[in-house]
Amino acid sequence: MSDRGLRIGQIVVSVAGVALAAYLTYVHYQPAALICTTGGGCETVQQSKYAVLAGIPVAVLGLAAWTGALVLAIWDSELARTLLLAIALIALAFAVYLVVLQLFVIDAVCTWCMINDLAITPIFVVLTLLRLRTAEARATD
Amino acid sequence: MPPVPKPPSAKKGPNRNVVIAIVVAAVVAVALIAGSVVLTRGGGSNDATPTTTGSDGSVAAPVALVSGIPQSGTTLGSPKTLTKMLAYEDLQCPYCKKFTDDALPAIIDEYVRPGLVKLDWRGLAFLGPDSTKALEIALAAGRQNKLWEVIGLFYEKQGTENSGWVTDQVVDDVLASVPGLDAAKVKADAKSPAVQKQIAAIQNEAKVNKVGGTPSFFIVKGVSQPYQLQVALTPEAFRPALNDALKG
Repeated sequence: MSDRGLRIGQIVVSVAGVALAAYLTYVHYQPAALICTTGGGCETVQQSKYAVLAGIPVAVLGLAAWTGALVLAIWDSELARTLLLAIALIALAFAVYLVVLQLFVIDAVCTWCMINDLAITPIFVVLTLLRLRTAEARATD
Repeated sequence: MPPVPKPPSAKKGPNRNVVIAIVVAAVVAVALIAGSVVLTRGGGSNDATPTTTGSDGSVAAPVALVSGIPQSGTTLGSPKTLTKMLAYEDLQCPYCKKFTDDALPAIIDEYVRPGLVKLDWRGLAFLGPDSTKALEIALAAGRQNKLWEVIGLFYEKQGTENSGWVTDQVVDDVLASVPGLDAAKVKADAKSPAVQKQIAAIQNEAKVNKVGGTPSFFIVKGVSQPYQLQVALTPEAFRPALNDALKG
């Protein structure tokens, strides 16, 4: 796939990430608006102490990260690609941590969080790595 | 001039920028995860987190059920709401537990959270000493606007009537499961004249309203006289009654 195609993919995935994180941020402050299809797991996760890190809701951190990723994906430069890689890897590590928390510590699963952690973030990481490889291949030609 | 063959390119190492990105990512990720682990352990600096409970970070279902809904003393729901449902209950009463398990979650989600109806828990203690002990604790928690979490947790732990199931350990467990609750103050307030006076006032009110047993439910609209709901303890039975109350 071309660099352009991968970049568009990153933009699309980032928009999905921004939308999901914005929703989770909104329901953090408006719990009544939470739509949960897994028997209260979303509420349990959202209201656990792990939903806030140093006073900042994790959903807000996610929103900031996805907004940053979107801006960097639109801004096409080598520095942007490097920063995107850093954000993608941080997001992946934190997503793994959040999945472990939900499954083994909080003992409740938030569907929306899982979509972010197990689908959107890994797809974004793959796109970022593919884009990096494309750029390196271009540089060696 | 014959073309000069290009020297074979030396095998390139990893891109410097990529290495920097990986190192930065590793440092930030470790910092985030370590921060989360440290700050959520015991009495860390995240005490301001409003709805945490339990050493495992999970939230008890009765706490989650009322999370984010305004409470004031014995009432649950928006203070602006005019339609109020009084619930006369005894914490030892199995049918009160059944109502709490079967109907209350739907009533809260459909009527209380959206601000249509507020609930007022009118605790009675006619079944025995366990009722009295639990009621005192519940009303004392109400002084910190945490009554609804406490009654939900008591119902969750409800034992055989007058078996002595409201032990000090059960009380401690219930209070420890409510985030932001000052357990010591609850236990001190439970025996206070203010709480005893409140119990007596609710008993008198129940007599005036001719409450014949628990659970009993009444609707009050604004300053109008309460009228009793005769309904089964299911969401399906409460919906039309509450809808009628909202229309009328």
